[in-house]
Amino acid sequence: MRIQFTDAQLALRDELRGYFRELMTPELRAECERDMGEGGGPLWREALARMGRDGWIGLGWPEEYGGRNLSPMEQFIFVEEVMRAGYPFPFLTTESVGPTLAEHGNAWIREEIVPRILRGELLVSIGYSEPDAGTDLAALRTTAVRDGDEWVINGQKMWTSLAHFCDYTWLAARTDPDASRKHKGISMFLVPNSDPGWSCTPVHTLGGVRTNATFYDNIRVSDAHRVGELHGGWKLITSQLNRERLSLINFGPISELFNQVVHWARAAPCAAGGVVAEQPWVQANLARSRALIECMKLIVYKQSWAMTEGTLGMADASAAKVFGSEGFIEVYRLLGEIVAESGLVRSHSPGAFEQAGRIERLYRTASIITFGGGANEIQRDIISAAGLWMPRASR
Amino acid sequence: MDFGFSDIQGELRALSRKILDDAVSASTLSAYDEFAAPRFDRALWHTLLESGLPGIAVAEEYGGMGLGFMELGLFIEELGRSIAPVPVLAHCVSGLLPLQRYANGELQARLLPPATRGDLLLTGDFWSGSGAPAVQAQATADGLRLAGRCPAVPFARQADWLLLPVQLADDTAVVLVPAGAPGLRLTDVQMTHFEPHAAVELDAVNVPAADIVLASGGESLVTWTRERCTAALCAQQLGAAEHAMRMAAGYTSERKQFGVPIATFQAVGHRMADCYIDIECLRLCTWQALSLLGEEQAATTEVQIAKIWAGDVGHRVSYACQHVHGGTGIDRDYPLWRYCLWLRFNEMALGSSASQAAALGRRLARGEGLFS
Repeated sequence: MRIQFTDAQLALRDELRGYFRELMTPELRAECERDMGEGGGPLWREALARMGRDGWIGLGWPEEYGGRNLSPMEQFIFVEEVMRAGYPFPFLTTESVGPTLAEHGNAWIREEIVPRILRGELLVSIGYSEPDAGTDLAALRTTAVRDGDEWVINGQKMWTSLAHFCDYTWLAARTDPDASRKHKGISMFLVPNSDPGWSCTPVHTLGGVRTNATFYDNIRVSDAHRVGELHGGWKLITSQLNRERLSLINFGPISELFNQVVHWARAAPCAAGGVVAEQPWVQANLARSRALIECMKLIVYKQSWAMTEGTLGMADASAAKVFGSEGFIEVYRLLGEIVAESGLVRSHSPGAFEQAGRIERLYRTASIITFGGGANEIQRDIISAAGLWMPRASR
Repeated sequence: MDFGFSDIQGELRALSRKILDDAVSASTLSAYDEFAAPRFDRALWHTLLESGLPGIAVAEEYGGMGLGFMELGLFIEELGRSIAPVPVLAHCVSGLLPLQRYANGELQARLLPPATRGDLLLTGDFWSGSGAPAVQAQATADGLRLAGRCPAVPFARQADWLLLPVQLADDTAVVLVPAGAPGLRLTDVQMTHFEPHAAVELDAVNVPAADIVLASGGESLVTWTRERCTAALCAQQLGAAEHAMRMAAGYTSERKQFGVPIATFQAVGHRMADCYIDIECLRLCTWQALSLLGEEQAATTEVQIAKIWAGDVGHRVSYACQHVHGGTGIDRDYPLWRYCLWLRFNEMALGSSASQAAALGRRLARGEGLFS
């Protein structure tokens, strides 16, 4: 037991901070801000490719994929720092779908697709949810029908975030409509978003962030685009979701935001006299935020350690997801209260605090991860069953 | 970053649990309810001393195991799990540790070996108040003369020596006072969790120079010791909260209503899942504090955060576990109620969540404790 980074890990962190200070130019920052912190613009693309060329994206990956063979902990430090720098890193592609493709993909996928992900040249959106299949994901109705050497795919997906600038969709489709249980008839495909039968329409959300509905109209793909066992897709979905749950809770940006709010509150004049940080209620909000973010940090570090050891438990992954997603909302509220009035001042006006508007936007977008990546109710079911061995009702 | 137990840590946890499981049960604990007897199981204490566990963090040259505060904390977590009636926090954390860290060689050689063997029982006045000394001292020809009152010192009546911070002009000294010193008077204080405490009144108690641990600059000893006392309470809270949670998970899996175990109701399962998440947070914050303190690193922020969680989690887990037990949880014939008393004690001792948050908030406002 030693809950501290090694000197080498601290040195890696410092090296990455220097790297991103240089990478994050004002122009790139402005483009990311314009794109609502989602990325996808030309400067964002170029920066991603540069990270790939410089060997950062695959830091913790085996050399056979072009990685540097360090542990999940180093990989995590990289993701934490890239996010802390304010770069909208496509972690769903690199940290959750990518490893699943590497583990279950055929030779073409492992040799052509995965290395391009690590070079920052290829992005994958996730096609699970449908209009009538959300939490009960196995009720999905998109179909893939065998026709000679090919598969013909038809259906609609919902909440296909980032799909409008991704290259492929990691798609769950029903391949056996007669399976004894609905979980057993699903297979996974890698569908090119460039196919003429692929289309997408935007869905605009509360926080201003765009997501998509995507449509699959007689898309024909070869069997090489199928991943894992035929009808065995459910296992890949749950394995990917476990990884996704971890990567959703990244504490880099929120710890940086916290520090910025403290710096601001120590300098900003308070209407009642003195500075904002002198007010007891502000200090209480800061302390509560600090304690919550500290736990997020420790939970993700423990998960990264468990992944390195190969001992990641289902209950702990779900606990991280529930705590992190609900913790983000609480911290944005607590910090939002501190910068509240300042958040009403338009940026570029005198006295504007740049982060105030960002906190306000984050507060409005934070609800996504309490249901995204598996609703928190389902995570709590998993915790009581897998963590506390409590019996659960059949569904 | 290593969240796993070393081989020796694993063995110590297993040994602690084995001894405590064998010796502590609802029926042995019932002997101390409502102060029927002082809550001190001397037979268990003897067994623990023979195993060497109370001397985990004492150097081998004084008869200890030569391990650190991390290992002591893991032992205390096990004590919390069984709410064992032994004076480990008083003796080891507020006695052995500061003596080993701050006392001169003569005092260490005189007291550490017998105290590690258990021939002498130590306690210290570090478990309540603000940290400012409750006792005034005046210099005499050959030492100090003390006057004052410490409102609640754990195991003061059972202890042989008391370690006391004292105010000496505008400085702090730290002294050892034998329990039988002339002018020292004890009054039992009944605490809600039944652990023996006493008010210590000192009226012209003379301390010879040889029993002065620090003649000046004692604030550093007080801060150092209170941080470890606070982390020890967090570890004790972690063990107690986890045990209460497991009790509730077990009970709801057996108890049937409407023909099914009540654990199958999502509302019950989710309340327990929230306990699980809470306890994971407390565990990680506590282990981090133990790890940093064990390596003598600055850990003020981490200890404050751990205690914030210890208070909040203790409160929430205690009420959730009582609730899902229904009336059984509050029935004194069922063992949960004693855990609720300890969860409450650990919540309040050395600063509630609100007071710890206020202290952390003041530090943040000074620019301390930010993320690195």
